[in-house]
Amino acid sequence: MQRDVGSLPLSPALRARLLAAGFQTAQELLETGPCGLSKEIGISREEALEALQVVRQECAGDAAKTAGGSGSTRKCTALELLEEEQTQGFIITFCSALDNILGGGVQLTKITEICGAPGVGKTQLCMQLAVDVQIPECFGGVAGEAVFIDTEGSFMVDRAADIATACVRHCQLIAEAHQEEDHLQALETFSLESILSHIYYFRCRDYIELLAQVYLLPDFLSEHSKVRLVVIDGIAFPFRHDFEDLSLRTRLLNGLAQQLIIIANDHKSAVVLTNQMTTRFGQNQSMLVPALGESWGHAATVRLIFHWDNTQRLATLYKSPSQKESTIPYNITPQGFRDVQPPPVTQNAEGTEMNPRKRPRREEEK
Amino acid sequence: MLGVQGIMATKKLRRAKLSQELCERLSRYQITTCQDFLCLSLLELMKVTGESYRNVQKLLRKVSLACAPKMQTAYEMKVRRSINPSAAFLPTSLHSLDKVLHGGIPCGSLTELTSPPGCGKTQFCITMSVLATLPVSMGGLDGAVIYIDTESAFSAERLIEIAGNRFPTYFDSDEKLFCMTRSIHLYRELTCDSVLKRIKSLEEEIISKKIKLIIIDSVASVVRKEFDTKLQGNLAERSNFLARGASLLKYVAEEFSIPVILTNQITTSLSNGLAIPADLVSPAHDLSLSEVTGASGSGKKESACVTAALGNTWSHSVNTRLILQYHDLLTRQIVIAKSPVAPFSTFFYTVEKSGLVLQDGKNLSNLPWEGTNPALQTIQVRNTALGNALLKTTDETPGDTPSP
Repeated sequence: MQRDVGSLPLSPALRARLLAAGFQTAQELLETGPCGLSKEIGISREEALEALQVVRQECAGDAAKTAGGSGSTRKCTALELLEEEQTQGFIITFCSALDNILGGGVQLTKITEICGAPGVGKTQLCMQLAVDVQIPECFGGVAGEAVFIDTEGSFMVDRAADIATACVRHCQLIAEAHQEEDHLQALETFSLESILSHIYYFRCRDYIELLAQVYLLPDFLSEHSKVRLVVIDGIAFPFRHDFEDLSLRTRLLNGLAQQLIIIANDHKSAVVLTNQMTTRFGQNQSMLVPALGESWGHAATVRLIFHWDNTQRLATLYKSPSQKESTIPYNITPQGFRDVQPPPVTQNAEGTEMNPRKRPRREEEK
Repeated sequence: MLGVQGIMATKKLRRAKLSQELCERLSRYQITTCQDFLCLSLLELMKVTGESYRNVQKLLRKVSLACAPKMQTAYEMKVRRSINPSAAFLPTSLHSLDKVLHGGIPCGSLTELTSPPGCGKTQFCITMSVLATLPVSMGGLDGAVIYIDTESAFSAERLIEIAGNRFPTYFDSDEKLFCMTRSIHLYRELTCDSVLKRIKSLEEEIISKKIKLIIIDSVASVVRKEFDTKLQGNLAERSNFLARGASLLKYVAEEFSIPVILTNQITTSLSNGLAIPADLVSPAHDLSLSEVTGASGSGKKESACVTAALGNTWSHSVNTRLILQYHDLLTRQIVIAKSPVAPFSTFFYTVEKSGLVLQDGKNLSNLPWEGTNPALQTIQVRNTALGNALLKTTDETPGDTPSP
């Protein structure tokens, strides 16, 4: 209540007037009331009322904070956080090696960045995840929907359809093997059409469209509350053309990162970004490093780098708060993102967890 | 000027449904477009608009709504494509290649064709020009072609020869041939500036001339003429030019759903003899072949490989990359090095009167997705092929594919 007038989120002109009239604390404003306020500083009653409502809300927020209530502040004990993390969903990638080094898959509420050279499979993984996020819970998925923001134009509907078809078939095979009621029921709504209908696609042609889209994303996610994955394929592309003002670029990118962190948390979604590699010239050699500079490296919680070793594609976990750095091989097949060789078939009688190791040999490769 | 601006960036704020007085007030601070507005921080916005925090959020939402793209679901996109499946690709008339590419050269994205000189790039481009003018029933797009020629390599006589030999039954009269040649609009551009200007004018040309295919042969020649990457600062400028060109072309390709074919040259990429894995070598180095041996003065023989020119960023910009390379004295190879729908594959071909002809017997089909970094895919040049023929060894040369 002793909040200083100068710190209230009112418009600068109004603040100036209040200070000129001699008001110092929020308490004084609330005591004066709207009519008195409008007469004293010469604004309309409606404006005065609006200002007072803002002040009141601010103070209510303050009171909650000082009293230790939860309100809009995100505060909890480590134990609560542990419980949350353990029940946190993961979106599987269908490459068990990759899921393993990630600790289960792409984690919800975290930002994962995939860097790599052109053609190495970043968009393929994004499309795979947009399909996998929709896997029903009884098959071990998170039963969510996906937002796909494309800045490079590399999203191919036909390819996404192929990946979706392969995923549905995979689930069908599991359902056949287990013959459980909820599997069959889930399969009724898990089809190619439904998967494609729940991938919300936005094509952003430059950084302004990208900024605008990310500003509007919270509203979109409130309307589509089942979204559990936001993919931005090509965060680097719009920011790499002659940005003369590099400090502006850094500021915009930081702003984007902030908004994405909030979105990931508030909507319990995974945010996946793909980044390009750029050439950095050292003393006698040059190397490929992730684009967008050093400070951008802080934006993502988890960083994967996809690269080549001759003809084998490799994924390296470069940054993670909980998993150790490691490298695994992966493949891109007509069915999508997969392990290098079909893992051995093991008789796993455990429940309904979606485990690619259970894929029976009789499944023919297209 | 900031970056490559789409149409949305330059949209004036008054069209974003902001009030007249607000627009006037903002213009006093030189804020007139959506881009100006969205690039400011929240505090700055509060200052220039004079509004409260909450109201500024509302204004941001309004301006964003004016700029943001429209949402479509993947399902709607699929339905739209299936209504008109033939409009998704331009078949190349090389059947095995078309099969692997799921139809042919994709519409709505950029396809790059890279090769050493004399391998058949221009022949391929000329053939595609003919194909685009053919009726849809024959696999064409029934439209006109814009051919931007920077090397003065386009030959009208060769065009007629290819057309007449490849489709003798269709081009059975002079009238048909002339009709086809009238649909191919040739522009000779010799500087980067004029190429960029031409690209900017494409939108209007496409509408007025009913264009269904755009070819630029070649991007690399103008760029390498004007930008010497050994000079400081030129590398950045070159990347800018390429990025702007790529962005404009992508816009046009997607907006009109047409294929865009760009040709590229080759360059040498070095690994300085240190144990650097191939994926960390910079393809942005642009040295001529004669400087390969001993360039770093270390005396050690450096391993060098010939790859596509124009650098790493350009490799990101194109969606499909086809490489033409030498195999031996007569036969050449087409390699699909990067494609969102096709696996890494190679096909043998020769150049005949009718253009490119696949040698089907030697095809390697159904390869696992096994290529390497498309930016570093090694390309076999004529000297290497000649060397092979003379020495009759097939082991150590780069770019060799294992025999089936």
